[in-house]
Amino acid sequence: MIDVNGITVRLGDFTLDDVSFTVPNGAYGVVIGPAGAGKTTLLEAIAGLLPLRAGHVRLRGADVTRLPPERRPVGLVYQHAYLFPHLTVRANVAYGAIDDAAVAESMDRFGLQLIGERDVRSLSGGERQLVALARALARRPEVLLLDEPFAALDPRRRAAVRREVRTMYFDRRCTVLHVTHDFDEAGLVGDVAVLLDKGRLLQAGDPADLFRRPANAYVASFLGAENIYAGTARPIRAASPDWVDAAVGQFAEHPLAFDTGALTLYALGDVVPGKVHAILRAEDVMLSKEAIASSVRNQFRGRVTEIVSAGALSKVTVNASGTPIVAAVTTRAVYELGLEIGREVVASFKAAAVHIC
Amino acid sequence: MRSASTYAASVVSALFASLFLLFLVAPLVGLVGAGGAAGVRQLFSDPELRGAVALTVLTATTATFFAVLGGTPLAYLLARRQFTGRALVAAILDLPLLIPHPVAGIALLLVLGRGSPLGSVLFGAGLRLTGSVFGVVCAMLFVAAPLYVAGARESFARVDRRYEAVARTLGDDAWRAFRRVTLPLSVRGLTASAIVMWARAVSEFGAIVILTYNPKVVSVLSYDRFTTFGLSGALPVAAVLVLLAILPLAALRALRGDDSTA
Repeated sequence: MIDVNGITVRLGDFTLDDVSFTVPNGAYGVVIGPAGAGKTTLLEAIAGLLPLRAGHVRLRGADVTRLPPERRPVGLVYQHAYLFPHLTVRANVAYGAIDDAAVAESMDRFGLQLIGERDVRSLSGGERQLVALARALARRPEVLLLDEPFAALDPRRRAAVRREVRTMYFDRRCTVLHVTHDFDEAGLVGDVAVLLDKGRLLQAGDPADLFRRPANAYVASFLGAENIYAGTARPIRAASPDWVDAAVGQFAEHPLAFDTGALTLYALGDVVPGKVHAILRAEDVMLSKEAIASSVRNQFRGRVTEIVSAGALSKVTVNASGTPIVAAVTTRAVYELGLEIGREVVASFKAAAVHIC
Repeated sequence: MRSASTYAASVVSALFASLFLLFLVAPLVGLVGAGGAAGVRQLFSDPELRGAVALTVLTATTATFFAVLGGTPLAYLLARRQFTGRALVAAILDLPLLIPHPVAGIALLLVLGRGSPLGSVLFGAGLRLTGSVFGVVCAMLFVAAPLYVAGARESFARVDRRYEAVARTLGDDAWRAFRRVTLPLSVRGLTASAIVMWARAVSEFGAIVILTYNPKVVSVLSYDRFTTFGLSGALPVAAVLVLLAILPLAALRALRGDDSTA
């Protein structure tokens, strides 16, 4: 378990301020934040490399706040690997290893036996990351701290190294805290997500929950939500199977009507007086040529104002009575629906997909 | 296509650069050309010159040894740690490089001379710092050690602190991480700094001549021969001093050559 309680770290002009969260034993935690959020500072504080001004760090149940790094059960892998350039691959892996068997196991796991005598300066980016992981794991740490380990890799290498890390994680079941600025990566690998910005904790919890139910509009925007609307919410009586399903499921909240501009969105949530926000992720919006007969409560007719293609996925903006609704659809669907600028379409989404905060 | 003004500027720049280089090289080449062969011959026939060379090498090496011993941890602290008075310590280290070297000799004389409290205590203990080999070492250490500390500090600063951080998480305490990671990664820079300091110590005259005229190091001997026998008497000794300084320069170039191929 990684239990960080109210830690404050001062580093020049930057302050990591009063950060608290818990990653349970054997869980995979992900710290998400932009550059300068304090992600690496957080990892270095947990590893004991930076002194705390306040707070406590507990690892596997033991308070390690006052222990030096070498006495903490952690392994740390930086984005740029920091392999010791004066040592070979094998010597790097063996550097802090508990015994020869651990070296051999780590070398085998990451397929490094054939390059064991290589100069680390001759390795590719992917190989360097694998050596850094092998080196950290040869010490058999109970907690593994990963500082953007895939960021410097090309997409193919990234997928391969990510796969290795996941396999290692499932085999070893050590507790992992993985720092990334990539929201997709966070969603792919994490059990617990910690959102940091400018040295402050914005939100922590289940990654799916974080993405679906951000604490506020800023967090939603930070996590890449495309549709964020300001408006007011009012309670209404439940009248849709869509809502009934949700009410007995995980979203045990009240049916609401949310007024924004000329649109009224139907949503589930707690009634908050005054101005609130409705968050809708683009992937929850469906597009069709005509209105569809279904339990989907929110259906708005509008015209396509923008189509942005990024490989297999495209983002289509529909102007519905002056309110833009962004939908993420497959690029194939764009062609099949004959979508083009000015084309009239219907944007549909479930009330359960609208999060009020 | 380059304009005429650009071309003219290039020609003028090249001319000034060549003149400047010539200004630096001509006296040394002239000196070695005029006195080099005689100097090498005199090394075999002149016991005083031979003794001065041996004393210079011994004292410069000893001064460098002490600079490495005390300057390395200081350089590491300055490169790695933020502490109150850090800027002041750095400024103090630069002072000996900025003041005229005879002034440095006078300052040392004030502190280490037999009339000073420290000098009298040391003299009472049988250690005479003026007019002795120790005085030469002190003068060399004072004027040349800042070069070592500055170079060593740069060398440590060039080693990313995260190498040490990784070593710490791999079980090393601070000293072990320094010994196993930082030191091997900065050893070339430290060696180069020590060589620069050694060469500077060899060529020191101003501070030494105030503290210790006798026994004579090569720089003092060349001055002594100049005042006694004139230019022709000083030439071979001066040429030997230049050749002595070229040796570490060649070693330094070899080190840098290694760096470029790494």
